[in-house]
Amino acid sequence: MPDNHDIALNFQLPENLKVKKFLARLDEQVSIHISSEQYSLKNYYDSFDWRLYQAGYLCEFLQSKTTSKLILLDIETEKPLLSADLDKMPSLLDEFENPAIKRMLSPVLEMRALNCLTSLPFQSYQINVLNKDQKTTVRILLEDYEALPARATIQPIKGYDKSCIRISELLTDTLELKRVKKNILQAALKLQGRKPLDYSSKLKIQLDPSMRADIASKYIYSCLLQNIKVNEAGTIADTDSEFLHDFRVAVRRTRSGLSQLKEILPIDKTASFSEYFAWLGQITSLTRDLDVYLLDFPTFESTLPENMKQAITPLHNFLKVRQVKAQKELAGKLKSPEYVLRLQEWEEYLKEPAAKKPLEANALLTIKQVADKRIWKVYQRVLKDGNAIDNDSPAEALHDLRKTCKKLRYLMEFFQSMYDETTINHAIKSLKKFQDILGTFQDCEVQEHALIQFGEDMRNEKTPTETFLAMGILVQHLQQRQQLARLDFSGRFDMFQSTENQAEYKKLFSEKN
Amino acid sequence: MTVIAAYSIKGGVGKTSTAVNLAYLAANSGYKTLIWDLDPQGASTFYFRIKPKVKGGSKKLIAGERDLDGLIKGSDFANLDVLPADFSFRNLDLVLDSRKKPKQRLEKLLKPVDKEYDLIVLDCPPNISLLSEAVFAASDILLSPIIPTTLSLRTLEQLKKFIKDNKLEHLKLAPFFSMTDRRKKMHRDIMQSLFDEHPDLLQSAVPYASDIERMGLERMPLGGFINKSRSTDAYQALWRELQDLME
Repeated sequence: MPDNHDIALNFQLPENLKVKKFLARLDEQVSIHISSEQYSLKNYYDSFDWRLYQAGYLCEFLQSKTTSKLILLDIETEKPLLSADLDKMPSLLDEFENPAIKRMLSPVLEMRALNCLTSLPFQSYQINVLNKDQKTTVRILLEDYEALPARATIQPIKGYDKSCIRISELLTDTLELKRVKKNILQAALKLQGRKPLDYSSKLKIQLDPSMRADIASKYIYSCLLQNIKVNEAGTIADTDSEFLHDFRVAVRRTRSGLSQLKEILPIDKTASFSEYFAWLGQITSLTRDLDVYLLDFPTFESTLPENMKQAITPLHNFLKVRQVKAQKELAGKLKSPEYVLRLQEWEEYLKEPAAKKPLEANALLTIKQVADKRIWKVYQRVLKDGNAIDNDSPAEALHDLRKTCKKLRYLMEFFQSMYDETTINHAIKSLKKFQDILGTFQDCEVQEHALIQFGEDMRNEKTPTETFLAMGILVQHLQQRQQLARLDFSGRFDMFQSTENQAEYKKLFSEKN
Repeated sequence: MTVIAAYSIKGGVGKTSTAVNLAYLAANSGYKTLIWDLDPQGASTFYFRIKPKVKGGSKKLIAGERDLDGLIKGSDFANLDVLPADFSFRNLDLVLDSRKKPKQRLEKLLKPVDKEYDLIVLDCPPNISLLSEAVFAASDILLSPIIPTTLSLRTLEQLKKFIKDNKLEHLKLAPFFSMTDRRKKMHRDIMQSLFDEHPDLLQSAVPYASDIERMGLERMPLGGFINKSRSTDAYQALWRELQDLME
């Protein structure tokens, strides 16, 4: 088989060369047989946050009168990794029946839904190039797109390398076709003004350190607002759980910004919008909590002994019913004028030009000055509060520390672009590790109480006794996990406040101090 | 990977058309299939319109000097590749005899491609020779066409004895009736008595039919030029029985 990197296999027809004309010209050069000609539709799928693309997969769903199949291609080599007949493209992983597809997509896609990025209608021609024995020695797949230039793809046949090379040269030199990358997705997305990886839940805010703090902070809020807006439709439609998650993260970051970046924007604005975003946080929290329980359900099941796994099915049903109800209510609220108008006001406010002479004390500082000062201060607080925690401290103390760490994390992420990339990434990573243990501790605490509450609520629903027994085991397991996290805390905190880490934070945010 | 050898001590019993049509049906049902034409006459190679030529001939092939994968040709049908015959295959016995452990040779040669294919069909020349012994060692199923004549009874018994004497326990013998003519009383009688005496005989019987003869003109498996006929039905039934055997 010829090496794809050496021989051009993928071509684009010049705009002025119609397919019929191309076929006629090809026929003059070699003996061909068109084995099929049909109307087809090529659809590309990925999750909203491009999980497949990031993992190096291209997901094609090809439909025609005779076929309907999913093809997973390797983006780099353009080779099919998997091809399977499929009548309809499902949205979530659980809806796939084919085990091979599930196996391949599951670690990448997780809970995210697949959505159609683009649909390309085209006329496809399967052309066989024949030798004097009428044996096919190479195939050409011709795709005549409605909205994009036609493409020709050489499909080599094992053992007929010379023929493949000859046809490749013929298409390049004699027929003057242009060599292209096989995947047409980028060209199709360009038609929509889009490009791959144009959404990520990770913040990527580029800031100029000398920017005025008020202008820069408005820019940060605008980026966050963008994330709120793009996740809104998926949250309302409940396409998958992560739209709401990303929506909430953007809301939380905005709230954190409004409370952390003090005396930069006018106090009345800050106060009123803080209230609005707090409300947004509050109306979205129940649905998210239920989403998390449902996402964690397989973990719950795995902690139970084999003969009790079935016993918690009523809990799943209970959660699902409530999730559906909460989600519906939330969707209603996100369509209400209360939400829409206020968000519009926020957007308009962010677009307003900055005051020439702002009254707020910190508005005219550079954003770098604000960032250094704020991060350093919150970091010091984390150290102080962390050191104050001992084995007898109440759970609230750890919870408060977790919240402070979140604030620190958000600040570092907002201002990431102004610092040395490797150093700040390392500092964020060490914080993240520390946050993990606080997260585990707090999640166990919350889930434990929630399970007890669910148990109370389920008593009126004729729930079988074994369900309560199973839930009791889950509570016990959560308590054990929380206990372990507690024991782990001091070690993790010592790691976080190690001399090297402290020196790193100092170097990053307090060199001048 | 399963290896099926289309084999008979006798010639002209429909080995090649069986190998070619079964390989086609297997490929069509999604099995990545390779047909290896071991017969120097190169009939199955001819049916796929491929040149009966193997670079370096039988010597280099058996010596393992040529990468098997590099000699394989894609057929005109999806999932179906062909390892063509070469005239030098008439000396395969001699070449094998000059190697150490000649009987294990084919199995060893197939090893590098066993991940690539779900099914390998060996189209073997007639005779019991060193090559056939190497084929028996490499195969899981020995698919043996039998024409319903008295002579065939003898060949089937010879084959069974050979397998028993050589303790080829891994090998499933799958004899089936080939080129049958239901109009002939003798065919009907022999088939009936053989079914009684040899319960291991496959139930499907491939008729003597003009469309099978036409394969030589069309130069492709039956499925390539007719949708449905008694012959295609017979091969389908045979393929289904083989699938059960493979499980």
